[in-house]
Amino acid sequence: MHRYMIRYSKKGPARYTAHLDLMRELERSMRRAHLPVAFSEGFNPHLKLSIAAPLPVGTEGLAELAEVEMTRPVEPDQMAESLNAVLPPGLKVWEVAEISSTNPALMAALDQAAYIVQLDGEDLPVPLPDAAIEEFLARECVEVRRRGKDGKEKVRDIRPGIIKIEALPGDDGLGLRMELKTGSVMNVRPAEAVTALLEHAGIEIDSADLEITRTGLFLVKKK
Amino acid sequence: MDKRLEKTLRRVQKPGRYTGGEWNAVYKDWPNTDVKMAFAFPDVYEVGMSHLGLQIIYHAVNSRDDALLERVFAPWADMEKQMRETGLPLFSLESRRPLRDFDILGFTLQYELSFTNILNMLDLAGIPVRRDDRAADVYPLVVAGGPCAFNPEPLADFIDVFIIGEGEDAVNDLLDTYLESQRRGEDRRQLLLRMAGISGFYVPSLYRVEYNDRGKLEAVKPAVAEAPAVVNKRVVTDLSEAVFPTRPLVPVIEAVHNRAMLEVQRGCTRGCRFCQAGVIYRPVREKEPQTLVRQAEEIIHNTGWNEISLSSLSTSDYSQIKSLISELTGSHTEAGVNISLPSLRVDAFSVDLAKEVQKVRRSSLTFAPEAGTQRLRDVINKGVTENNLMEAVSAAFAGGWQAVKLYFMIGLPTETDVDLEGIADLARRVLDKGRSLSRSPGRIKVTVSVSSFVPKSHTPFQWEPQDNMDELKRKQAFLKQRMRGRGLVFNYHDPEGSFLEAVFSRGDRRLAAVLEAAWRAGSRFDGWSEFFDFGRWMKAFEATGIDPVGYAHRRFEYGEIMPWDHIGAGMSKKYLEREHRRALDGEITPDCRAGNCPGCGLCPTLEVKPRLAGGETIAPLHDSLQ
Repeated sequence: MHRYMIRYSKKGPARYTAHLDLMRELERSMRRAHLPVAFSEGFNPHLKLSIAAPLPVGTEGLAELAEVEMTRPVEPDQMAESLNAVLPPGLKVWEVAEISSTNPALMAALDQAAYIVQLDGEDLPVPLPDAAIEEFLARECVEVRRRGKDGKEKVRDIRPGIIKIEALPGDDGLGLRMELKTGSVMNVRPAEAVTALLEHAGIEIDSADLEITRTGLFLVKKK
Repeated sequence: MDKRLEKTLRRVQKPGRYTGGEWNAVYKDWPNTDVKMAFAFPDVYEVGMSHLGLQIIYHAVNSRDDALLERVFAPWADMEKQMRETGLPLFSLESRRPLRDFDILGFTLQYELSFTNILNMLDLAGIPVRRDDRAADVYPLVVAGGPCAFNPEPLADFIDVFIIGEGEDAVNDLLDTYLESQRRGEDRRQLLLRMAGISGFYVPSLYRVEYNDRGKLEAVKPAVAEAPAVVNKRVVTDLSEAVFPTRPLVPVIEAVHNRAMLEVQRGCTRGCRFCQAGVIYRPVREKEPQTLVRQAEEIIHNTGWNEISLSSLSTSDYSQIKSLISELTGSHTEAGVNISLPSLRVDAFSVDLAKEVQKVRRSSLTFAPEAGTQRLRDVINKGVTENNLMEAVSAAFAGGWQAVKLYFMIGLPTETDVDLEGIADLARRVLDKGRSLSRSPGRIKVTVSVSSFVPKSHTPFQWEPQDNMDELKRKQAFLKQRMRGRGLVFNYHDPEGSFLEAVFSRGDRRLAAVLEAAWRAGSRFDGWSEFFDFGRWMKAFEATGIDPVGYAHRRFEYGEIMPWDHIGAGMSKKYLEREHRRALDGEITPDCRAGNCPGCGLCPTLEVKPRLAGGETIAPLHDSLQ
C-alpha cells in the first residue's frame, strides 16, 4: 500500500460540509479523478481515507490534513492536480506528499491547531480591553461547561489547552489569533476559548457570531 | 447579503441545505442571461435532491445559452425562524439571490401534503401568495408542474400557469414564450394569454368556475378564446432522444437517495386501477439499451457515485432488462459500481435480476401485492397471483435474503374483512416459507406496510370514496392484532394524513381558503409527522366553512363534473368509467403491450404510441394478464 498525506483547504460553501459528508465527497472525488484508491476488506469495504481533527461545521480550514492509501504509487503532484480538477467549489488540494508506511496514523500524531477568530463590531458590545488577553492567560485555571455525549454537563479546565492568544490589529470588532491543543488527549474548541476570554473581561457575546478559520494543524514533535 | 447569510447559516442545524456548491452545479453569468428561472421544490433539500425531475429540468434549462435555472428548497423550521427574525428573503442556492429577482419561479407538485410549503416559500420570498395580490410585472411568474398538477384546482388561486405532463420540452416552450413576450414588450396579461395557447399550459385565471345553488361544481369553462376547453398533458415521444442529465448534481449532504439515477423507461400500462402514475405517464416508452449503457457510463464518470439505480415505475418490465443488467454489471463491477433496482415486480424473474445485481444480500427485497385476496387483486387489476408472490419470496429466501417487505393498501373499493384476513394470511405464509427455506429460520423477517387508499384524479377509482378515518383505524387495528408474533413487523400510518391527501387530490378551487388558513395558522411540512397538526387543519376547515368530508368520503357520480375534467391525461372519461364498472365486477383488463388495445383513448388523443426498445410496439410480458 502507498500512503499519502493531503493538505487541503475547506472554504466557501464547503465549510458547511460535515465530517461524514466530507468523507463521502472526497471518496466520490477520488473516483472522479480515477485514482487507484485502496479499500478495506470485508462485507462493507470502505475507502482507506482518514481526515485529521475534523472541523466543526461552519469553520473554515486553510491547511487541513487527510491521509489516503492507494493500491499503486501515484505521483503526488499529479494526484493534487487530478483532484483539483474534480473537487467541488470550496475544496482545494495544496499539497500531496507520500508518507512512509511506518509513520503513525495522522489522527494520533496531531496535537495543536492555529486559528483566526473574528467578530464584527456590531456583535461586540464593548471593545476588548488591551490588557484582557494577558490577564486571561495569567489565570491558572479556566473552567468551561460542555455538554458531553451522554447529555450531562461537564466542567473542565481548558487552560492547559490554550497555548497562545494574541490580538490582531484592526479598527472595528475583534480579531484574534490563537493556538490551541487539539486531538484526543486535550481538545479545546476555539469558540469555547474566545467565549471564556470575553467572559473574563465581562463581555457577553453570541458564539454563533464568531467567524472562525483554522489556519493550521501541527504534528507533535517527538520529545 | 452574504455576511447576513453566513451569520444565519451558523445558527441552523444543517447549513449545507442552503449553501449549494455541489459538484455539477451550474453557475451562470446573471447579467448576461436573458431569462432566469428558479426551480422550487416544496420540501427539504434532502428530499428534493433525490428527485429525478429536478435533475432533468436543471439540465434542460441550463443547457440553453439564454436561460439559467437555479434551485431553492423549503427551509427547515430552524432556518425559517432565522429568516423571519432577520428579514432574510428566500434565496436560490446558486447565486444566493432573492427569489424575487427571478423572472419565473417553478414549483414541482409531488404530493398534496407539500402544498402549504408552497405558500410558505412564496411568503418567505416576499411574494404575495395569492395570484390576485401579485401586481402585474413586479413579481416572478409563478408556474407549477408535476403529478399533482393533474388536479391543479386547489392551487389555482396561487399559481399563474400550470404545466400539465412531462416537462422536458414544455419547459423550453415556457422559456421561449416568456422571451418572445418580453421582446414584444407585452404585459403580464398578454403573456398569460400567449401561454394559454401552448399545448399543456393551463392558465387558471382564464377560466370561469361555476357552482349550482347547492354548491356543486357545474363547470370550469374558458373565459377567453385563447384558453382551450381541455388542456391535454405533454408527452415526450422518444425518450432515447430526450435530454437526460448525465452530469447530475451530486448533493453534498446526504440525500434520501444518494446514487445515480438512470431512467430506463417511462410509463406503465399494467393498468392498476388505483394508480395515477400509470395514467399520467402513459404510454410506455422504453429507452434503447445502447443509450442507457452510454448514459450510465457518463453518469458514473461525471459523478463518482458507485451506485446506479435503474429507475422507472416497474423496472422489471423493461423488455431488455436482462441484457442491460449483464452489460452494466460487466462494464462496471470492476470499478466497484453497484446497481440497484428500486421497483421489483412480484415474481421469480425479478428476484433473479436482484440476485444478479446484489452480490451481497444486505438489504431486504420489497414486493407490492397491494391486496390480500385474488378477488380484490382482480378488482384493482393488479396482475399478481398468490403463486407469483410465493415464487418470488421462495426465490428470495433461497437466494439468501432473510428479510422481505410487503406493501399493501387498505380501504380499497369493495374491501371486506376477508381481504384483510388475506393480508395477514399471506404474510404468515411468506414467513413460513422463509423459515422452511432458510438455514437460520429464526432470523427471517417479514415486514408488512399498509397504506390507505386515496382516490386520485384521472384513475378508474376517481369516483370512489375513501374510507372514513374510524374505519381505517379499525382496519389497521384488525390487522395489527393478526400480525403479532416473532418475525412479523407491521407498519402503518395515521389515517389523518391520507384523509387530507384525499381532500386535496379531489378538491376544487374552494380549498384555496382552507390551504391559506391552515398555512397562516402555522401548517408546513405536513408530510412530516413531527410537523403535521391535524387539529389545526380541522380548525381551518371550520373557520372557512368548508366540509372536507364531501371531498374525501363522498362517492362521486358518473355524470358529475369533476374539478379536473378540463385537464386531460389522455384516457377518456368513458374508458375510466368502463374500467370502474369492470372493477366492481371483478373483471381484469390486460396490459396493452401484449397487443390487445383496451381502447383507453390515449394514443389517438395525444397522437402518441407505446415505444419499446428496438422499435417494437408489442412485447407481451411473460407474466402479464392476457
